[in-house]
Amino acid sequence: MLSTPDDPSIGVLNGLSEMAKSKGVSISEFIKEVETIVHGTTVTTNAVLTYNGAKTGLLTTKGLRDALEMRRGIREEQYNNRYTNVKPLVPRYLRVPIEERLDYKGEVVVPLKESDIQESLEKFKNENIEAMAVCFMNSFANKDHESKAKEFVKTHLPDAYLTVSSELLPSIRFYDRISTTVLNSYVGPILRGYLSSLTKKLKDIGFSGVLLIMQSNGGVISPEIATNTAAATLLSGPAGGPVAGIAYTSIQGYNDCITVDMGGTSFDAALIKDKTPLVTTEGEINRLRLALPMLGIVTIGAGGGSIGWIDEGGLLRMGPQSAGAKPGPACYDLGGEKPTATDADLILGYLDPDFFAGGKIRLNYDKAKEAIKTQIADKLNLNLVEAAAGMYQVINVNMASGVREVSVKRGYDPREFPLVVAGGAGPVHACMIALELEIPAMIIPKESSIFCAAGMLMSDLKHDFVRTYAVSFDNVESKTFKSHFQDMEENGNKLLESENIPKDRIEALYSLDMRYVKQYHEVNVVITKDEVDNVDLDSITKKFHPEHNRLYGYSLEDEGTPIELINMRLTLIGKTDKPKFIEEENKSEDASDAVKGRRNVYLPNKKDFQELDVYDGFKLKCGNKIAGPAIIEQVNTTTFVSPEYNVICDKYGSYTMYLKTKEKEILERVLK
Amino acid sequence: MNKDKIDKILASVFARRFKSITEEMSIALTKTTRSPILCEAKDFVTGLYDSKGKMLEQTENLPILSFSLGPVCEYIVKYFGEEIYEGDVIFHNDVFSLGNQNNDVAVYKPIFYKNELIAWSACKGHQADIGGAVAGGYNPNATEVWQEALRIPPVKVYEKGKLRKDVWDLIFANIRFDIVAEDMKAQIGSCVVGERGILKLVEKYGKETFESHKNYLFDSTEKMMKAEIKTIPNGIYEGESTVYYDGKTPGSKYKIRVKITVENEKITFDYSETDPQTDGFVNGTYTSSASATTLTFLQMVNPDIPHNDGMVKPISIIIPEGTILNAKYPAATTFGNHLCPPNADAIIRALSEVIPERITAGWNQLLCYLTTGFDTRKRDKYVDIGFLGLKGGSGGTKGVDGYDHIGMIDASGGVLDQDYEMFEQQTPHFLILHELWQDSAGAGQFRGGLGVETMFKIGGDNTTVVTFGDGDVEPAFGLFGGKEGTLNKIEITYPDGKIYKTTTKDLVEKVPNGAILFQQAGGGGGYGDPFKRPKEKVQEEVKNGIISIEKAKEDYGIVIDPETFEIIQKETENIRGNK
Repeated sequence: MLSTPDDPSIGVLNGLSEMAKSKGVSISEFIKEVETIVHGTTVTTNAVLTYNGAKTGLLTTKGLRDALEMRRGIREEQYNNRYTNVKPLVPRYLRVPIEERLDYKGEVVVPLKESDIQESLEKFKNENIEAMAVCFMNSFANKDHESKAKEFVKTHLPDAYLTVSSELLPSIRFYDRISTTVLNSYVGPILRGYLSSLTKKLKDIGFSGVLLIMQSNGGVISPEIATNTAAATLLSGPAGGPVAGIAYTSIQGYNDCITVDMGGTSFDAALIKDKTPLVTTEGEINRLRLALPMLGIVTIGAGGGSIGWIDEGGLLRMGPQSAGAKPGPACYDLGGEKPTATDADLILGYLDPDFFAGGKIRLNYDKAKEAIKTQIADKLNLNLVEAAAGMYQVINVNMASGVREVSVKRGYDPREFPLVVAGGAGPVHACMIALELEIPAMIIPKESSIFCAAGMLMSDLKHDFVRTYAVSFDNVESKTFKSHFQDMEENGNKLLESENIPKDRIEALYSLDMRYVKQYHEVNVVITKDEVDNVDLDSITKKFHPEHNRLYGYSLEDEGTPIELINMRLTLIGKTDKPKFIEEENKSEDASDAVKGRRNVYLPNKKDFQELDVYDGFKLKCGNKIAGPAIIEQVNTTTFVSPEYNVICDKYGSYTMYLKTKEKEILERVLK
Repeated sequence: MNKDKIDKILASVFARRFKSITEEMSIALTKTTRSPILCEAKDFVTGLYDSKGKMLEQTENLPILSFSLGPVCEYIVKYFGEEIYEGDVIFHNDVFSLGNQNNDVAVYKPIFYKNELIAWSACKGHQADIGGAVAGGYNPNATEVWQEALRIPPVKVYEKGKLRKDVWDLIFANIRFDIVAEDMKAQIGSCVVGERGILKLVEKYGKETFESHKNYLFDSTEKMMKAEIKTIPNGIYEGESTVYYDGKTPGSKYKIRVKITVENEKITFDYSETDPQTDGFVNGTYTSSASATTLTFLQMVNPDIPHNDGMVKPISIIIPEGTILNAKYPAATTFGNHLCPPNADAIIRALSEVIPERITAGWNQLLCYLTTGFDTRKRDKYVDIGFLGLKGGSGGTKGVDGYDHIGMIDASGGVLDQDYEMFEQQTPHFLILHELWQDSAGAGQFRGGLGVETMFKIGGDNTTVVTFGDGDVEPAFGLFGGKEGTLNKIEITYPDGKIYKTTTKDLVEKVPNGAILFQQAGGGGGYGDPFKRPKEKVQEEVKNGIISIEKAKEDYGIVIDPETFEIIQKETENIRGNK
């Protein structure tokens, strides 16, 4: 069983051959043994962030074609007159008004004018449209007009990726639905092309196991289903992080943690309370409304490839532009000429030019020096080391602000959470981010570079369903109530069956969206299977009132205010086999066996180099202790331990870095 | 922890925690209220105050409401003196004891920790009705406050945790709609959410730390604001604007005049030369006018300044009683919040030469409709404020176009349109058109924001349409060569074909089912010479239909082929020259 990090399909194949090589077998022999591949991808995310999605056409109700662009008239920064609206994913000339209209109950007021659709499709053909979105007013109450439009599109633009709002998100609120529908179409062809190429390549090398795709909600699904709900993968890449974070911290008895993942271009942070990652249906991406369930993860543009530059005011800045993997940092010597965070790490001695990626990529010190000297140091009148140290410091502050975003900004004190640090570039920077925020403890999983991937392997299959059953709670009919849940369960069971999940590994989570009469928003109340089977409305009512009070500060239980049911929700989870962590036995404190050499490394607070011990990470055992400052090297990650911190290895082999002043309490926790 | 020792990270945790608590209060109110004015448009604010009533933090969906919450809190602290108890809940709306508008009703809840008053949570929302002569509160015929609303000076509806049923019943016996009582319960709930948040914080860190870090926050914010003011050259700057039509005398005009004095770290806004108050309801209260001044100025400084008491300290605002911005008891004042746009115009004009890169051209002035009547589908009364229709464009500024469809400067994009489908659930009306208005934006190197056109069919029975606003005489002004935006308009087409164009302060009764209401909200003013706008930008906007071919030529000097949307270079050069 293995997993691959978030690379385009060629990267996936490269990864597989690397793994085969390391086991000394051919890729076809290797792939035969692989049962499951779980894949997280950022192709859809990047398409939205860079506006490189499909050229999309929108059919919508005449008179209302600007809803997508107007976003209900919000300006998120009220006092900032330089804050501009986001560019819509479909420009106005490709948002075509169609004569048709349903009323609030879904009854036809203006019949669908089919010639409007036909004319528009001619236009879209001439424009070489790759994707189509259909969203009509009040279609949540009646799908007919959208279904007819769908048939026209399928007939006349058969190759276009198509999303129909009443199929993707059959719930009330026009702006939420049109925005989510357009997002789905905008990224649909990108994901479709990518997954079909990946599936084919895997088949070609003889893969016969199960391929699963990570979704933004923290669950996995099959590629066929993912292709139809492409917008559900918009947070696929980092979605494995929180699950992995829970696994790596709970061994030390933590219930909460903050996870950070620093890769080449982006830095993802998430906060987990009570072992539960935050899930929201009120999310957005790049200020565009996305009304599908997703984990609350913050992403900022900071990574190993982040480019250093001098702004108009003469200040040193890092990112968000990134040199990516190609041409990459100057020191990769692949043609990149811009100074990046990785170049600075090399100059400062955190990275060993001969042991980057275990020696597979030789880093060119002179190229890094040249880039930093000419583009940073000379412009700021600094020497090379001062300039590199400045770059290192600025990117660390940027990443610390990403951690603030998920903690301080939500009112949590980051010092109360262990920081789980992942990503190839993360552990070089971890100590300085933690110092900036005074975080006492960090946990660095040994396989830090594939942290999210590890999380994906620990994720279950997950399908979310919703049915609208708007009725006064007193008038709920047992038959309808049960049949909605049965209907959703049957659909879900079929999906899970197609994903090879046996019945005894399926778990169902039921909930209802309920409110007091005349309210316009609902409280989600989790209910049990017994309550569903017995249609136990009394017991459910007794849950609703305190939940309303807990969330909103009051309940109307004593006044006997009537309650309404609006939506019924089901999440079906298919439990997958999880990789087993091997728990090591506690060995001695002495880590001297793992010392592999010494080298000069820059200490930021001392503002000078010092010769430090370099440890071979794979030789470190549970209970081994290292006093900072030091360097720990593995194939894919290097960890810099600053003088303020010590390191102890825990039972999973993770390095726990802790402030020297906190030694007693940390050691008790780790060695317990 | 030592009382004098400040932990700077903890201070910023406190600042952010205050902010996130007020945001949670705001979510609670959105999720539980029944009036679309609150649950859809978010016409409310939430806030936290210290034991003396000083602002700790606010979430200001509609800023014009927000800068009176603190002053009223201080008033309440003095009003009840020793008789403030744990479990009290206090209502307030009275404009003659520092309220900003009759319909904006506030709830205050004192927060006690170990039997000691440590803070207040409060929120204020625009209620669907507050009694008075006209449902919904906007009565252009009013000449004194009692024709507008039920006055609520500070009154306890709960004391020591016990509901005062007699007081509650007295208040709601004077209000038309049942949902108002429900929405006031929701506001109390929101204050409980705020109380729980503060108590959690104080239980964890202790009262001493809470106090010392709060004071540190006030001081550091004050320093930030002073540093911002210091960037404006010392001097005296004057500006004026015109308020058109007082709702009584057609053609009437009033001047707002502001004298701004910047002296090192202090800024003073003096309105002494402003015209006297009107006989009608087009009058401000001190707090609504001072809120307008504060929020306009906040757009000219660093937008990241925390909103607490330290922020407002270096700002002085002088508005003599008896002026249109601070009317004397017992004047009618419901229109007062809507004097914010002309007030902002006067301030922008005053500062446009001294900080040209920080001000915008003129914003579209508010013009709003309100419908009220009987929804025959639900057999119930309703009231709806036309947030959908009122959102014009903001002014352009150096380097950035105005924001399309943002609406009045008093909200600056914090108040939302009703979602179309929710609008049709909540009112008996049927939406026909809601789109960006072609050619409405003032041309400029940085154009104004676009306005919007709205049309819907009126449903239900016994409909009254009320209008309030301005902007049908003078459009949003351009600056530095930029052109002006377009005018506001509301007209009603009756089923028999008769068209009635409303005034800007109107009360139209018995509008029949099937009548069509059409509104144009104008665009914002442009900034800088339109001939300097890049050709490709204009071309793209023509292709997208938000600028017409004619206007592209007339305002921007760019000639575009109507078939291909290509720029006809030669003709363009003839007009534009080498620009």
